[in-house]
Amino acid sequence: MKKVLSTVLATALVATTLAGCGGSKPAETTAAPAASEAPAATEAPAGDASSDVTEIVWWAFPTFGVDTGYEQELVDAFNAAHSEYKVKVEYIDFTSGPDKLTAALTSGTAPDILFDAPGRIIEFGNAGYLVSLDDMLNELKPDLTSESLVETCVGADGTAYMYPISSSPFYMGLNKEALEKADALQYVNLEGDRTWTTENFVKMCEALRDAAPTQVPAIVYCGGQGGDQGTRALVNNLYSSSITDADGKWNIDANGVKALELLKSMYDSKALDAGFDMAAADELQKFQQETCAMTFCFGTSSEVTYASEDYTQIAVPFPSDDGVPSLEYLVNGFCVFDNKDEARAEGAKEFIKFICDDAEWGPKSVIKTNAFPVRKSFGNPYEGDEHMAMLASWSQYYGPYYNTKDGFAAMRPLWFNALQQVFNGTPAQDVADEFNTAANAG
Amino acid sequence: MGNKKQKAPARSLVLQRRETMVSYLFLLPALFFFVGFVITPMAMGVITSFTDASFTNPEGTFVGLKNYTRLFQDKIFLKSAVNTVIIVVVSVPAVTAFSLWVGSAIYKMRSGIRSFYRCVFYLPVVTGSVAVTVVWKWMFDKYDGLLNYIVKALGGQPLPWTSSEQMALWCIILILFTTSIGQPIVLYVAALGNVDASLEEAAKVDGANDFQVFWKIKWPSIMPTTLYVAVITTINSFQCFALIQLLTSGGPNYSTSTVMYLLYDIAFKTTKEFGYADAMGVVLAIVIALFSALQFKVMNGGTTE
Repeated sequence: MKKVLSTVLATALVATTLAGCGGSKPAETTAAPAASEAPAATEAPAGDASSDVTEIVWWAFPTFGVDTGYEQELVDAFNAAHSEYKVKVEYIDFTSGPDKLTAALTSGTAPDILFDAPGRIIEFGNAGYLVSLDDMLNELKPDLTSESLVETCVGADGTAYMYPISSSPFYMGLNKEALEKADALQYVNLEGDRTWTTENFVKMCEALRDAAPTQVPAIVYCGGQGGDQGTRALVNNLYSSSITDADGKWNIDANGVKALELLKSMYDSKALDAGFDMAAADELQKFQQETCAMTFCFGTSSEVTYASEDYTQIAVPFPSDDGVPSLEYLVNGFCVFDNKDEARAEGAKEFIKFICDDAEWGPKSVIKTNAFPVRKSFGNPYEGDEHMAMLASWSQYYGPYYNTKDGFAAMRPLWFNALQQVFNGTPAQDVADEFNTAANAG
Repeated sequence: MGNKKQKAPARSLVLQRRETMVSYLFLLPALFFFVGFVITPMAMGVITSFTDASFTNPEGTFVGLKNYTRLFQDKIFLKSAVNTVIIVVVSVPAVTAFSLWVGSAIYKMRSGIRSFYRCVFYLPVVTGSVAVTVVWKWMFDKYDGLLNYIVKALGGQPLPWTSSEQMALWCIILILFTTSIGQPIVLYVAALGNVDASLEEAAKVDGANDFQVFWKIKWPSIMPTTLYVAVITTINSFQCFALIQLLTSGGPNYSTSTVMYLLYDIAFKTTKEFGYADAMGVVLAIVIALFSALQFKVMNGGTTE
């Protein structure tokens, strides 16, 4: 009896444990690429007798905003209009999402669709994880607001991997009341497109330091790569340098060194501070809390996310020696992962067309990204909004797009570490030499 | 009678074999997980470390010891290795000594008070590393943090804490310390409570002072616990990751980068070279094994023989 009981117990333990292992349905939905000859992912909803429904998984970063529910609205609308597909949305965040993507791609459990920006998408495309979207992009080209948008969507071999929906510049944000208290508003150009000079930027920071309406005038964050385009834009604009040279290699040139030296001298004189343990999100929080009077990572989304009722935000382009800025910009778009299943890929393409091109949902989606449409046919969805009109006009200052260049991902940690070294006293030229060697080593 | 005497051992052998089989059946689920989630990944990691596998080439090709030789020419890896050793060398003795001291101080207290202290010290362990690190991040905040508020209230200049190359690693060690002492204290309280009281009394009757009682009676009795605490704290210190990722991302200027963090950084953030990252993992595993073996040797396997 004891023996039988032991055997039954042991078997039950094994059975329940193994059952526990296999209980994760979501993994199945995002999982295992089906063999090319295998039928489409046809997991029909419970109670549905039909097996012709292709299930598509969409991993969504909060580009449409955090917890807005807009993604589900889109999915419901698409599912209602296309009974042959069933889209399932899964939410990921910008902190852990990139790691999850890397793990999913290398283990063959990728989703079908991702909404992201070119930096990651083109990296995935160049690595062979994406489906070509040449047909869709070719169709879209005549309607694009700028030809230069094409280069943000294609990989090293010219294959289109991203289907763009919206775009917006990155710029600086200032605290109007803090500047007024420090009598520093005089150095900022609030007329026209608000371009201004390096000289006035330095004077503004010094005035803020002397009057101290905030704890520090500014924080050059350099503790991580989150939002690092802001600090690159700052450095590159101060003396009109570029992060890539004429041959397309990563390069901090002589003017870049001059800009780093200027920032170091401002750091030494307390006209700005260095955020060694801060990424852009931390700096934006400090801006919102009025610890500093400006941010170097403002954009159409962060204006909303980090809004405050206690002060007035002023958006300005980055200052430059000649008064002509070269702005970094964001392009939002979709990619389709190659899960070796044509039906899923076709369904995914159909869905992203629905989000981006549908007469009703297309313009709505653009507005939800807080950015500007990349389709001429959408016109101006922010009619009557002067502020958005001004930001849209800054597209004339868009600089070269380097996020899709080889070695971009490896360059980013070198960049923030280079800033740390400069602020810690290593000569800027030595830092630049080391950066140029390491960034091009791959 | 004679027959019965001969059959008894045979039946016992069969019973023994069946009981052994049942035991193995009970072990099977654990074995399944151990093989699936420990042994297999470990073997895969070792194999991958001899390849150039990366995000763009997940399969990789065999490159022999190239990843291992590269490790020792990589300045960032060497800096991370030094940081890791500093963390281990400082935190293991500190955690062990402090836990033993607290354990010794509270194990004779009334049960209610003893439980209170155990709760206090165990709280950071059960709180979860993310919550603990976020709270510490607020406290270390250079501008509005609690610590600088106190420093300023005492008339001092605000300190840069995690912003400083010189201070950041010590901030990491401090948090690691607070999250590591809970379990050792509980273990020491239990171990000290289990020391045979008659031995202590006998020693005192023989004229031993408090130090002698501790050194000659208690210390040998709690040696297995000390070995366990030392080994577990060593492994945890070597594998310190979450709080570095959340607090400093290895900066400033790699001053808080550890092998464990760099491994993650290389595999998932920067160059995504899985083979190279795995080589770091293998080296880390070997070093942990060596440290643990050394501790076993020094502490005579937890005995006083």
